[in-house]
Amino acid sequence: MAVTDTPIDSEESFARSAGKQLAIYALYALVLLASLIYVFSLVAGRTGSGTSGGAVDVANNSVTTTLRQEPPQLDAGRSTDASSFVVLAHVMEGLLAYDDNMQLIPGMAERWEVREDGATFWIRDEALWSNGDSVTAHDFEFAWKRVVDPDTASEYAFILYPILNAEAITQGELPKEMLGVQAVDDQTLEVQFAQPTPYFDKLVAFNTYLPLQQEFYESTDGRYGADAEYMIYNGPYVVEEWIHGASMLWRKNPTYWGDHKGFLDEINAAYITTDINAKLNLFKDGQIAETQLLAPMLPEAMEKRWQIDRVMDGTVFFLEFNHREGRITDNWHFRRAMQLAQSSDELVYKVLKEAAYLPAVSLFPVWIQGLNDIFRTEYPPIEHKLNVQLAREHLEMARQELGLEEFPPIVFLTGDTPISILSSEYYQELYKQNLGLEIRIDVQNFKQRLAKMTSGEFDVVVAGWGPDYDDPLTFGDFFASWNLNNRGRYNSPEMDAQVRIAQAELDPKKRLDAFGEIQRIVYEDVTLIPMYERGWAFVVDPRLKGFKRRSVGPEVDFNFAYIEEVED
Amino acid sequence: MTDLSLADFQPLEPGQEIHGISRPSQSYWQDAWARLKVNKRALVSLYLVIGLLLFTIAGPWVWTVDPAQQDLDQVSRPPGADRNALIVADYAPWQTEGLSFGEGLKVVGDPTTQAVKLKWDAIPGANGHRIYRNIFPIGPERSYGIPRAEFFDNRVVTFEDRLDLKALTYYYVLVPLGPRGELLDNYEVIEVDVHRVTTIVEAVDRGLIEESANLQIGDEINLDWHPFGTDYLGRDLLARLMAGARVSLFIGIGAPFLFVLFGVFYGSIAGFVGGRVDQVMMRFADFVVALPFLLFMILFKISFGIGPGESGVFPMLVALVVLMWPATSRLVRGQILQIREQGYIHASQLLGAPTRYLILRHMIPNTLGVVLVTITFAIPSAIFTEAFLSFIGMGVAPPTPSWGSMSNEGIKTMLTTPHELIFPALFISITVLAFNLLGDGLRDALDARMRNQE
Repeated sequence: MAVTDTPIDSEESFARSAGKQLAIYALYALVLLASLIYVFSLVAGRTGSGTSGGAVDVANNSVTTTLRQEPPQLDAGRSTDASSFVVLAHVMEGLLAYDDNMQLIPGMAERWEVREDGATFWIRDEALWSNGDSVTAHDFEFAWKRVVDPDTASEYAFILYPILNAEAITQGELPKEMLGVQAVDDQTLEVQFAQPTPYFDKLVAFNTYLPLQQEFYESTDGRYGADAEYMIYNGPYVVEEWIHGASMLWRKNPTYWGDHKGFLDEINAAYITTDINAKLNLFKDGQIAETQLLAPMLPEAMEKRWQIDRVMDGTVFFLEFNHREGRITDNWHFRRAMQLAQSSDELVYKVLKEAAYLPAVSLFPVWIQGLNDIFRTEYPPIEHKLNVQLAREHLEMARQELGLEEFPPIVFLTGDTPISILSSEYYQELYKQNLGLEIRIDVQNFKQRLAKMTSGEFDVVVAGWGPDYDDPLTFGDFFASWNLNNRGRYNSPEMDAQVRIAQAELDPKKRLDAFGEIQRIVYEDVTLIPMYERGWAFVVDPRLKGFKRRSVGPEVDFNFAYIEEVED
Repeated sequence: MTDLSLADFQPLEPGQEIHGISRPSQSYWQDAWARLKVNKRALVSLYLVIGLLLFTIAGPWVWTVDPAQQDLDQVSRPPGADRNALIVADYAPWQTEGLSFGEGLKVVGDPTTQAVKLKWDAIPGANGHRIYRNIFPIGPERSYGIPRAEFFDNRVVTFEDRLDLKALTYYYVLVPLGPRGELLDNYEVIEVDVHRVTTIVEAVDRGLIEESANLQIGDEINLDWHPFGTDYLGRDLLARLMAGARVSLFIGIGAPFLFVLFGVFYGSIAGFVGGRVDQVMMRFADFVVALPFLLFMILFKISFGIGPGESGVFPMLVALVVLMWPATSRLVRGQILQIREQGYIHASQLLGAPTRYLILRHMIPNTLGVVLVTITFAIPSAIFTEAFLSFIGMGVAPPTPSWGSMSNEGIKTMLTTPHELIFPALFISITVLAFNLLGDGLRDALDARMRNQE
């Protein structure tokens, strides 16, 4: 027996020693791997901090940030996107500008006068272009005539319509020389109005009204705004470097006239991303100076003891109906039923859960100013109450009016952002439960959604509208029958009459009354269903002061930002 | 040597015991089944697959919750969360007239998940106030938490918070604002214990209580039970997993069954006829292999007139069937070519067997093993394709769930509520693994050459 036992024994011991050997090798491999990872991360950390100065570089007085997307081009007359507006707000300055508290301050114009029939702007002597030339009234005249020129095909040409003949020129009915703007001399700019425009001072702070030097423009041979070298600047910063698709570097403009703006030597838009998760990671790594925070990120932010700030970004989101004839949503009872069966409180507080969002109750957002107070304090919107019972009654009336057995599926056109899709899914179930309606969700990207809105391929669309200038009219004329942004083609003589008053009335009280009426019509005629007013919770590097996020104008504003070292 | 007698050479009586074949004769399938039964992994996988089918088909009969129903009181709840709630009156806008002030920052009424009502006195030197909400106590750093509201107006001294309140302890901070809206240092803080509540109307709506139930405000009830938790819209995850399984398994079993059937048909013709026909048919199969799947999926979706907001499951099925058959047809063709040259086929032919008999008796049964294995391996890959397509938004339309679209939704809140990702991901993984292991076991069991290796 003993003899036969031995080989088994040795076999066992072989297995054991082999196992031991393997374990030792595995241990070696693990140690090697761990040390390699450590070395690599060390090296990576070195190179990381070597190539970029980090979020806030105190020694070089520079800040690193992100851009939402690459500007298609930086020709102010043709720009339409938020990202271009941000860049232009730092490298250019209009006749008037906003200060860090959203008040109008002199820009290129040192004083101005708005009359019933026109306006005069006196341009300051010390205003210079970045090539050393003076900024003159001719630069404005040239720029504005170019914007209304049908050949320029500026999408924002309509914002110049208060100027005499602007609309006719854009339609190609008059030559552009007929535009009601004239440089009397180098310093004086005369504007004639098509109709009284009491808010014209606020308009000229907008991007489309920025100046352009004719001589330089012609030297670029049609490439103006396409690259850093094809532009000249009159703002507190200049675009120093523009690496397409990757980054942008702005440097302080030595020829800028004032010392109330542009305290940083360098602003480095080192990343182009809309992904807030990516931005949060960059912020945590100390790579960028500020980022927005979405609801799921807030517990972590509180745990890290960040100082969270908030701002309303100015935009109102709403369900816009297709008012074209023949659509179910053209029926008032149907729209009223949809309005009564929902409440924006539930959407914001329980579904979206974003801390800086507000449930929308009107076409006009909460921050719009009235005569002496907030507009909505002076003109309170009609109080909305969820009432499913009444909603069902209206739906029944709609069914009888339309002569339908059953409602066909309602097409809900929506954007492809997580928030839009989430809202649509919420409404889908809400309207199924409360009204028994079937909702089909059509998810499209921004361009496709706009195209479908324009051609009318929807019943309801999840849309938003942001302000162009700081006046209620930027929201108030949205549903005018002639407004091309009114893509549901809402057409009501009552609304049009009020919009005309709001556009031309000189008495501020009567003008605001018209906005009050517009607010009432929008609710009572169910032109739209307000969803939410967007806001952002955001964090800023504690060393960066004076940084602003805005409701009107550029969404991020470094014009008044400066660096202050925090003592520990 | 024993002596033999004449009796030894007598024929046996019928029914007498003989020795010879000692074990009962086993057919191919009996034998395969016997060997599958020994394979533990395959057997467990088989049970899993059966369980999954039960989950999908019988599940909705047992767990009759509507997968689209939104329970907004319980959004993103993990499984096993606390769910008792007090009954309160319906929400009504807060009437702030007649409040008494003079005690600083105070809570008015009961703080509940419906609303937390705060009142305060204007802090001396303030031009307005900001209200913050924190889930941690306030430390020395000026980190107050989430800014909930800002009033640049000293007349506003009340605030009602209704945003996503949970049954937690919150710290509300009142920070005075300077003349330009900057934060001043003399803040006030209050600790608030919020408890979960619901209203009678909501409870009746959700079927938690009978309409006739005599419940008073202040009574305690239990909210809906969600064994697997809820998703970001408060929808029951278990019900959604069951509904999602239907889509996943419809594609996962329907598509492979169809394209394998076609592949067998195509491959056996090519293999049996052979020659030029075989050449042409196989080159065509090569061509189909080269077609990009995703592109065709989109093309089918458009050409079927699948509008926005409609399910893309049918075009997915068609795309899978149209593009996935060549692998099977090649396999079957190879098998048939091999069998065609076997000696027993020639023998059979020499004995005068007609073609039909050859195909039915020899060819098909001999390829069946291969085909079965192909199907079991095609199923997980089809399930995975469906999950992937739904993940990128090409598949089902909301609110229909599928495991892939559920994973896509869950990944957004992976860090805060991981259960929304873990459950659908787990189901995909288990299903794919079970079918793979079962396929593995079947291949071993059906392979005649493995018979001697036991």
